[in-house]
Amino acid sequence: MMQTFWTLIVSFTVIGLGAYGGGLMTVPLMQHELVVSRDLLSMTQMSQLVAIAQMTPGPIAVNGATFVGYNIAGLAGALLASIVVVLPGVLALVLLLFCREHLPVNTHSLRLRRGLRAGVLGLLLFATWSYSRGVIHSWVEGAIAAAAFAVLLTCEGRVHPLAVIVGAGVLGMLVF
Amino acid sequence: MRAISCTRLFLIFSKIGLTTFGGGFSMATVLRHELVLKRAWLTEREFFDTLSTATAVPGAVAINLAFMQGWKARGYRGALAAAAGTMLPSVVILLFIARFATPYFERPMVASFLKGAGIAVAAQIAFASYTFARNLRVHWQNVFACGLGLGLLIIGLHPVFAVLAGASVGYLLMHERMTRPDDNIAKDI
Repeated sequence: MMQTFWTLIVSFTVIGLGAYGGGLMTVPLMQHELVVSRDLLSMTQMSQLVAIAQMTPGPIAVNGATFVGYNIAGLAGALLASIVVVLPGVLALVLLLFCREHLPVNTHSLRLRRGLRAGVLGLLLFATWSYSRGVIHSWVEGAIAAAAFAVLLTCEGRVHPLAVIVGAGVLGMLVF
Repeated sequence: MRAISCTRLFLIFSKIGLTTFGGGFSMATVLRHELVLKRAWLTEREFFDTLSTATAVPGAVAINLAFMQGWKARGYRGALAAAAGTMLPSVVILLFIARFATPYFERPMVASFLKGAGIAVAAQIAFASYTFARNLRVHWQNVFACGLGLGLLIIGLHPVFAVLAGASVGYLLMHERMTRPDDNIAKDI
């Protein structure tokens, strides 16, 4: 049992460190770590995990950790994996926030952060493209995406984005 | 931002955790709705600055963002409350699904619903990109940093390189005088 917990800790530390770029890397990395290198899940379980982790509320990495942890080592495994997966990010932030509070503001860090914003926009654009390519294959799907975008744009601040997700889901039940 | 209790931080971020689908950047659309548009805790600029930092460190963007926001409001206790709040719905729902509901995900009606919802996730990510882009000024350094990051991703490099490329371009090519008075990002998280 200790062995299992240890495997979970190592795997999900790796996933927590590498799950980078807003969910973009999370799925391929989980697949590599859990199926290919450690053989914790079968490929069928993995595809089930991906569907569930993406379409339940919350971050994909946390969802994946809870699901895999539970299936491998019960409730304790689920909690352990979920905490381990967020630790690398949290520790990095503690360090960063501590430095920001205790070091004087200088123009070096301002320039870095300014450039960072533009780099992250590149990442967002790439995520938009790669995610869209994965889910939009026909004109019906394209039309649903365009409609969802139009609602987000025109009802900005008035309609909760969750309503758009649920709306598109109901539309999906009617047309697919 | 007014003083806010740790309990309230926990509850607000639980609600956010419960109403976000698709992870990371798709969650950014909901976070912006809750924190900028609805509660006005952050200006648009502060939000996107926080989002870029949350993206630049490893791990789930939404947890990192919650942690930073909680820290800003209430120090480390607030940070832990906000991060735990974001995680709680995820963990509870996934435990329930892992225990009882895994087979339901293969039912045709559920699969169709999820297919439609997945398309809306694409729209949410696109919308997050659009609102982010709208807040950056158009000058060649920004265009270059963004294009370089995008290019590195297209040739298949890990996202950390896009982030490093952006920060390097900023460090080497951007000037302090481009900072406007209302844009003093260093004072906020």
